[in-house]
Formats: sequence, C-alpha cells, structure tokens
Amino acid sequence: MIISSLGQGLLWVPLAIGVFITFRILDIPDLTTEGSFPFGAAVAVSLMIKGQSALMASLVGFLAGCLAGLITGILDTKLHIPSLLAGILTMTGLYSINMHIMGKSNVPLLSQKVLTEYLPDNWNLDIQTIVLGLIVIGIVVLVLYAMFKTRLGLSLMATGNNKAMSAANGINTDGMIIFGYAISNGLIALSGALVAQSNGYADIGMGIGTIVIGLASVLVGEIFLRGRGILTRLVAMVVGAIIYRLLLTAAMSLGFPADDLKILSAIILVVVICAPIIQNRIRTKRQLKKYLEQMEEPADEGTTSKASTEGLLSRD
Amino acid sequence: MKVLQVKHLQKVFFPGTDNERHVLKNINLEVNKGDFISVIGNNGAGKSTLLNTIAGTLSADAGEIDLADHEVSKKSVAYRSRWMSRVFQDPKMGTAGDLTVFQNLVLAQSHTKTSSLKWYQRKNDLDKYRDLLKTLNMGLENFLNTQVKYLSGGQRQALSLLMATMSKPELLLLDEHTAALDPKTSQEVMRITDKIILHEQLTTMMITHKMSDALKYGNRLIMVQDGQIKLDVRGTEKRNLNKEQLLAAFE
Repeated sequence: MIISSLGQGLLWVPLAIGVFITFRILDIPDLTTEGSFPFGAAVAVSLMIKGQSALMASLVGFLAGCLAGLITGILDTKLHIPSLLAGILTMTGLYSINMHIMGKSNVPLLSQKVLTEYLPDNWNLDIQTIVLGLIVIGIVVLVLYAMFKTRLGLSLMATGNNKAMSAANGINTDGMIIFGYAISNGLIALSGALVAQSNGYADIGMGIGTIVIGLASVLVGEIFLRGRGILTRLVAMVVGAIIYRLLLTAAMSLGFPADDLKILSAIILVVVICAPIIQNRIRTKRQLKKYLEQMEEPADEGTTSKASTEGLLSRD
Repeated sequence: MKVLQVKHLQKVFFPGTDNERHVLKNINLEVNKGDFISVIGNNGAGKSTLLNTIAGTLSADAGEIDLADHEVSKKSVAYRSRWMSRVFQDPKMGTAGDLTVFQNLVLAQSHTKTSSLKWYQRKNDLDKYRDLLKTLNMGLENFLNTQVKYLSGGQRQALSLLMATMSKPELLLLDEHTAALDPKTSQEVMRITDKIILHEQLTTMMITHKMSDALKYGNRLIMVQDGQIKLDVRGTEKRNLNKEQLLAAFE
C-alpha cells in the first residue's frame, strides 16, 4: 500500500512543482490548475486513442497546459484582469474545451500502451510507476534547476518578488509572468496526463480539488524540507507530494470513503497552513527566551552580539 | 551633449472628473551630460510626477521625452532602463528582498540580457562585487549571500544606489532616496551618493526635500512649482544661492 502510494505520489509531483512556480516564485494563486490538469489528461488520452504513442501524447499534454497558462498570463498581464479571476476564467473555459476534446465526460483507455509499459514487463506495476515517476521528476527537476541558475530564472524570481524593481532593471515583467504561468500549467497538465494513464481513463471531473492538493503538497514539502537553495526547494516539492499522498492513503485505510477525500484534503491544507505559523511562533519565543537569558549572564559581550546577529541572518 | 530632452510634457490626473488635476503643465527641460540637478518643490508641485513620467512608471499625456537620442515617451520602463537607473524613496522598492545581495547585483547589470540562458553565477563577478561593496563602507561585502530583506534600511538603500550606478547609466534618477532613513544614515547615504556621482561623472536628477542637501550637492538646481519649472540655476549662480533666497522663491 505504501509502495503504491509512493508511486502515485510521484505522478503528482509535477503538479506540486507547477503550483510552486506560480504560488511561491511568482506569488500568484493560480486557479487555472483545476482546468489544466484535466486538460493534460484529456489531450493525452484522446491522442493515445487516436493512435499516438504515450510519450508523444504526454508531451503534447504538457504543451497544451503551457497554452492554458499562456492564456491566463495574457488575461492577467495584458488585459489587467486580477490573477485570481484570470485563473477562474481559463479554468471555466477549459471545461468546455475538455468536453469537446473527450466527446463525453469519461474516456477510458482500452489496449493502448501507457508509459509504464515501456519499462521491463517483469517488474510489477508499482515498481514501474515508481521508476517512471522518478525518470519524469528527474528530468523536470534538473531542467528547472538549470533554468533557475540562468539569468532568465533569476529574472523570473525577481519579477515575483519585486515587480517595480525588476522593470527598473530592464526585465520584461509581463513576459516573465506569462512564461511562469505557462511552465507552471504545462507541468500541471503533464501531471494530469500521467495520472490519467495510471488510472486508465480521463475524466472531466478529475481537476476538482487539484489546486488544494497542489498547495497542500507545496506547504507539506516546505514543512519537511526547509531551505532557500532552489534545488532544496524543488526537492521539497517532491517530498511534499509524496507525503501528502501517504497522508491520504492513511486516511483511506482508516476507513474514510473516497467521497470524503476532498474534505480531508481541505482539512489537511488548513492544518499545513497553520502549522508553520504556530511552529514559527513557538520557535521565536524559545529563541527570545534563550537570548534574554544570555543577556542576563554577564558573559563577554562580543560573543553574545555575534550569536544574535547570526540568529537573525540565518532565518531558521 | 543632451542626455535628456523633455518637450511640452503634460500630465493630467482624473481628466473630466471633479478631481481633475493638471499636474505637469507644458514642461520643457534639457539635461546636459554632467548635470547633477537637485529638484525641489512643495508637496504636490509635480516633481515626483515629473520623475515618474521620465522613468516611465507614469505615461505622458502629451509631449516628447528624448532619452540619449531615443524618443521614449511611449516606451516601457524596462526599455528605458537601458539608459536610465533609479533609486526609489522606499529602500524596499529598489531591491528584491527574497534574493541575495549577489543576485540583486547580477540583476543590476546588462539590462538587455535579462532573458539570457547563461548561468549567472561566476567566480570573478563575486570578487568584483565584493570590491564594489567595500567602497560603500557599510560592511555589505560580508553579506553577499544574505537575503536583502535582512539588511538595514541604510544598507538596503546603499545597495540600491550601487545597483543603480554600477552600469554607469546615462541618467540617474534619485527620488528622495534618503527621506526614509534616520538623519545619520541619511547623511551617510547622501555622502556616498555624491562620491559615486562625481567619481563616475553621472548625469543625475535628484529630488529632495532637504533644502540643505539641494544647496550643498549638485551643480544645478530646479524648483518645480504648480506643475511648472519656476527656477533653474546652475554653475556659479547655483553656488552662490543661499537658503533665504531659496525660501523666498518658494513664495
């Protein structure tokens, strides 16, 4: 069970990383997610049924997601629609598009060869899923890591952090935001394509709640793995998506019916949003107490002041 | 040689409403290479609007802005940044708080290569930046890998200043850049500003509310009042100007 949820968790990692890019790097809560996830699934499954290879179908699914992100980005930056609403508009529009692509609300894969079947036959399905997930995530994390090390990646981070300063330093901030939306939703759609292949079908409703899943994965990951290096932060998303999936599996094994998973997801999100705040408050209080105690001891001043600056600078 | 030429610049806020305000009234201004202009004026006189319109954060309603022989009145802030840098009033505005000092410095250079796919971290840059930071004398050279949000306001503003000047822009805009700092830090930042401007021979427009700074620094002084340039003195005339004369001009 744990092994199988590990594999499932890996398939949801691109979603977590996609949400991370908009939510953390660009500082935008992007609801396009709920439309681009099934969009990726719909495109991939439909292409496979039409005879395309699973690899090609997944790639086109990724590109389809990029296109969805591009549209939200244009609505946000060029038409000045507030980002939350821009995401909702694209998401709503995508519902119709997904229905047109699939033709009906649920399209099963028949005998088409999915990505896991490219791996050796003698491995069992769970191992196949894990290996496939690791390969996809390896590529995604490496490419993103390299991207964030370039000037382009730096410009993207700067835009999310301080738009006025970025523009004053020559960055095309609108372009950066659109680019961020595009890769984010591309990854989310890729996740949709992978999950659909694993489930064996694409469903019009499979996007519902994905933004909550994505955000929860981001926050869970950040609780378990702190750090500000970009590689650490990306790996944290991998960890977050897997742990989140394990939490859901644990809940199911406690006997919660599948219909209750959405409310569980919501509750988990509330908890993981609040947990770091409380954690932080406790830590600050403890540090403060330690610091004040140190002040009372008439130790040599030099070391005391040095230690306190270090505490301030290291954040954690 | 002219660095900036502003012709018949107009800016009207809320046109057609009861709150209509004509803030810039047909402003003409020439800034020559080597000018270090102090811009003074009452609150609401239009000096910040003038600076924002030149920088591109506000669009001009009418008129022309020629920056280093490029007509830029319809161009974006990013495009204008090829020739122009700016230090904001708020120390938080000029730097990206979540990024490190090093990353901020990288962003400040080669404004035309912001989408480059080359890796930005290079060893010799690190040494170069460390030397540059040392010249500020604020201990910043030890914080290259510290996120900017952990620096003090003075350090952050000094960093903004370094970022704005390191690429030797044709025109430097300073928007009351010492106003948010305490008196001592403000003086220190002003001193560094003067040093950098003279050393790099940067053409500068500096808005200030401090009469003493306006008199002490720069080789030209402009007073903006009611959306027009009321006073424009330079050279010896500027040097001989005193506080009383300036206050009288405010009336």
